[in-house]
Amino acid sequence: MTVGRMTAPARPAFLPSEVDPTVFDEAFLRQLERLLLLLKAPVRGGLKGGRRSVKRGQSVEFADYRDYSLGDDLRQLDWNVYARLERLFVKLFVEEEDVTVTFLIDASASMAAGSPDKLQFAKRAAAALGYIGLASEDRVVVAALAGRTARRQSALRGSGRVFRLLSNLSAIAVADGPTDLLAAARHAAAQLTGRGVVVLISDLLDPSADHVIRDLAGTGSELIVLHVLSPQELDPVFEGDLRLVDAETGDGVDVTVDLATLDGYKARLAAWKDGFAELARKRRASYVDLPTDLPLAELVFAELRRRRVLG
Amino acid sequence: MPFATPLALLGLLFVPLVVAMYLLKLRREPTTVPSTLLWDRLVADVEANAPWQRLRRSLLLLLQLLLVLALAILAARPFLERPAGLAGDLVLVVDASASMGATDVEPNRLEAAKVAALEALRELPAGGRVSVVATGRTARVVANATTDLGRVRQAIASIEVTATTGDLGDALRLAGALAARSVDAEILVATDAALPSPPTARVDTPVRVLQVGRDRKNQAIAALAVRTAPSAVTRSVFVSVANLDFEPAERRIELYGDDRLLEARDVFLDPQARADVVIDDVPRNVAVVEVRLVASDDSAGAPDRLAIDDRAWAVVPPDQLRRILLVGEGDPYLETALSYLPNTELYGVEPDAYGPGTKPELFDLVIFESFVPTTLPPTAILAIAPPRTSPVGEVTGTLRNPGIGALGPDEPILRYVDLTTTHIAQAERLVLPNWARTVIPGPGGAPLLYIGDRAGQRTAVLAFEPRRSDLPLQVAFPILLANLAGELLGGSAGPADAVAPGSPVSLPIPAGATGLVVTRPDGSTVELAPGTPGAAAVTFTQTDLVGVYSAQPVRPPATPDPSASATPSAAPSASAAPTAPPVDPDAPIRFAVDLFDIDESTIAPGSVAAIEALGRAPTPSASPGTGGSGSGASASDRQPARDELWGPILLIALVLLCVEWAVYQRDALLRGWRTLSARVRPRAGEGG
Repeated sequence: MTVGRMTAPARPAFLPSEVDPTVFDEAFLRQLERLLLLLKAPVRGGLKGGRRSVKRGQSVEFADYRDYSLGDDLRQLDWNVYARLERLFVKLFVEEEDVTVTFLIDASASMAAGSPDKLQFAKRAAAALGYIGLASEDRVVVAALAGRTARRQSALRGSGRVFRLLSNLSAIAVADGPTDLLAAARHAAAQLTGRGVVVLISDLLDPSADHVIRDLAGTGSELIVLHVLSPQELDPVFEGDLRLVDAETGDGVDVTVDLATLDGYKARLAAWKDGFAELARKRRASYVDLPTDLPLAELVFAELRRRRVLG
Repeated sequence: MPFATPLALLGLLFVPLVVAMYLLKLRREPTTVPSTLLWDRLVADVEANAPWQRLRRSLLLLLQLLLVLALAILAARPFLERPAGLAGDLVLVVDASASMGATDVEPNRLEAAKVAALEALRELPAGGRVSVVATGRTARVVANATTDLGRVRQAIASIEVTATTGDLGDALRLAGALAARSVDAEILVATDAALPSPPTARVDTPVRVLQVGRDRKNQAIAALAVRTAPSAVTRSVFVSVANLDFEPAERRIELYGDDRLLEARDVFLDPQARADVVIDDVPRNVAVVEVRLVASDDSAGAPDRLAIDDRAWAVVPPDQLRRILLVGEGDPYLETALSYLPNTELYGVEPDAYGPGTKPELFDLVIFESFVPTTLPPTAILAIAPPRTSPVGEVTGTLRNPGIGALGPDEPILRYVDLTTTHIAQAERLVLPNWARTVIPGPGGAPLLYIGDRAGQRTAVLAFEPRRSDLPLQVAFPILLANLAGELLGGSAGPADAVAPGSPVSLPIPAGATGLVVTRPDGSTVELAPGTPGAAAVTFTQTDLVGVYSAQPVRPPATPDPSASATPSAAPSASAAPTAPPVDPDAPIRFAVDLFDIDESTIAPGSVAAIEALGRAPTPSASPGTGGSGSGASASDRQPARDELWGPILLIALVLLCVEWAVYQRDALLRGWRTLSARVRPRAGEGG
């Protein structure tokens, strides 16, 4: 008798062993290379990179003129202006610098819920966006918010470090105990170096989630909030007399779920999300709510472009 | 409000039970969710830590309490009391005769009578006993002195219209005997009172009639007969149709032979009159004829309220080989004419050789020519010029050149016979016996030919020898002889008598058969076995349906008996069967059951007073509201009648149940409504 056996998906030969092969395939990675994270304002970075900087520097994009002063590079003089005005002006060019993109991934127990589960969706979204950052010569940092701390991985730069990024993401697991999202976010904010982009991927199922957004937006970095919720949370299917047990705290509430209750839940959910969107708008942050059954390609190529997160 | 079963109000104890169910905290199924953050506020009002929770306002609770209340009251059977209109012991007689199938009231009179009877039972006092008698051909008790009205309703519902003639007198006698058991008794008769004359039975109990029916519009087939012409060559169908209405009617007679339409003929029927129709030239191979009385094209305004008498059946007698024995010196004219009769075998013997050894009883007809034996055989006899007085007739002398008297125009034996030029040289002077009728009268009242039934045997006497007249030289001779033989042979010439519905029929069992299987018109079969082994006939009684019945002999599976060969000794004996025994012993025996009862077809409602007069006059202590009925001195002591109120209470309980279900399932109903609305809305948008 032949017994069928489940076979794991084929691992691409180029993927390191610590990378979850279900995250990406090669064709998908190629598509990601064409994308770039859109920033609302020029940023101050560190190393020379691919993004417009507030500084003037060595690029091909003209920025301004200034009077020549002793010691300036004679190669930057605009001889045409000198010919017309007989005054020496130095041409200034836009400096292109890199930027640090920090992914804060909520690893609380509630992120393990849903089908597909929210943490898996968050890791795939972070990997996709992180790869885009690597491809555009940004520095990419991944930090997992679990317990009361943020476990920050080392910064990565260059598209050649994509597998390292995937390994870092694969290592993130759901926290065992309860998670204080605010404390973990503050810990992560304290670890930020300079201004950059902070991408918070979380279900925000925490009483102090609005404080988290407020604090992260106050760091000076540009904040992008990816609010992930599973279809079961968006449209619960259970009904009857139930005792709902919190996956993180173990606390239970008794509820009789009927159509009126579900209608109330959905109304409250919508108001809850609207509150986050309004808060993000006030703090000049981007807020994107995402169901976890959204295909990753649609997330990257359609939803985030539509929300002006990617360009 | 009184209750029939007040103990059932103990069901109200379920009220606190239902309330307790709502007070008890639900056992909830634990379900893990990512966070209870969004649920907290929604469930704040159901938080409880004790096993008992606060009783909240709930529509479901209210509905369930009302439902328990309604069911408890329903089980307690509340009722209202009022004076009873019927006696405590009621005998209900339901007429189920054929006329009760008339459709002048919807759906028919019997059903209307049942409804009227059930309505009348509401006047029964509490604890009253009811007996139900159904009357058809005979009366039968379908419910006997029961206080269970459910059984009474069941018994009444089981009564069906029969095809039989009703005997209301028999039913009244039976009802009177049942009513005699009680001092406070009454007989209630549900009938159309369509009786030719009131029954003669008198009962010592008040009789009240619930009359149904209002119409007399009916046309009926009153008679149907198939006659084989005396020559046995052709067959004719005789149909008699009666119009029992006071208005003329036009109807169409459809003749079917073996379910194939042979002829249709329109007839105009005068009021209260009959019309006879003869349809000739029916094919020889037809075994069963059916006549249907249907509406003609112009008779839309003249309804026929009774259907059972609009169809009739008749079985065509089968052809049968008949044996004729000619005892005489030999008359070539006579022998030649007899030899031309169809389906006959002619045997001859001289008078000297005639005796018991001749076995004349095996022949269907014995012709004695100028000879009469001392002992007449038990079969049909034609005596020609008997030389002496004998049981066939008294000979008082000789007639010379007798003249032929006035012939009857309707005499079937003289059909197509012309005797105007016939001369007779010599004839015997005979005296007409009291069992015979004259066919050819002679001079001075002396008949030249007479015929009749002598001790159950067809007997004819011809006063002259044919060769002593010029009759053999005329065309009339073979015709007369054929007609005479046909009349004497019976069977083929006689009509196949129809059996009245419900009448017992004696069916002959062919030799070697162990019984019969009778197939009724509705296709059901009845197996008949004789009471004693070897019996020649068996009685069949289930003739309550009109139509054609077919009896098939049942043969044992053993080897055939060599003695049962087709010799004259095995010739069928005389029997009381409706048709003559078949030639093939295994051929089915058919007979028809037809109503043919003008009295029953007369559906005009009769006099109620005549029937009510058969009972004892009611006492004046009748209760109000019942039309002055009431019976016996104990009428004032009767229990009151009860009107139970279960109907509206049951309706309320059902409504409560439906509302409770709808409230309980409101989520599913709302979801369905939303789904439906979502489907309809895009279509409406497309349409716009």
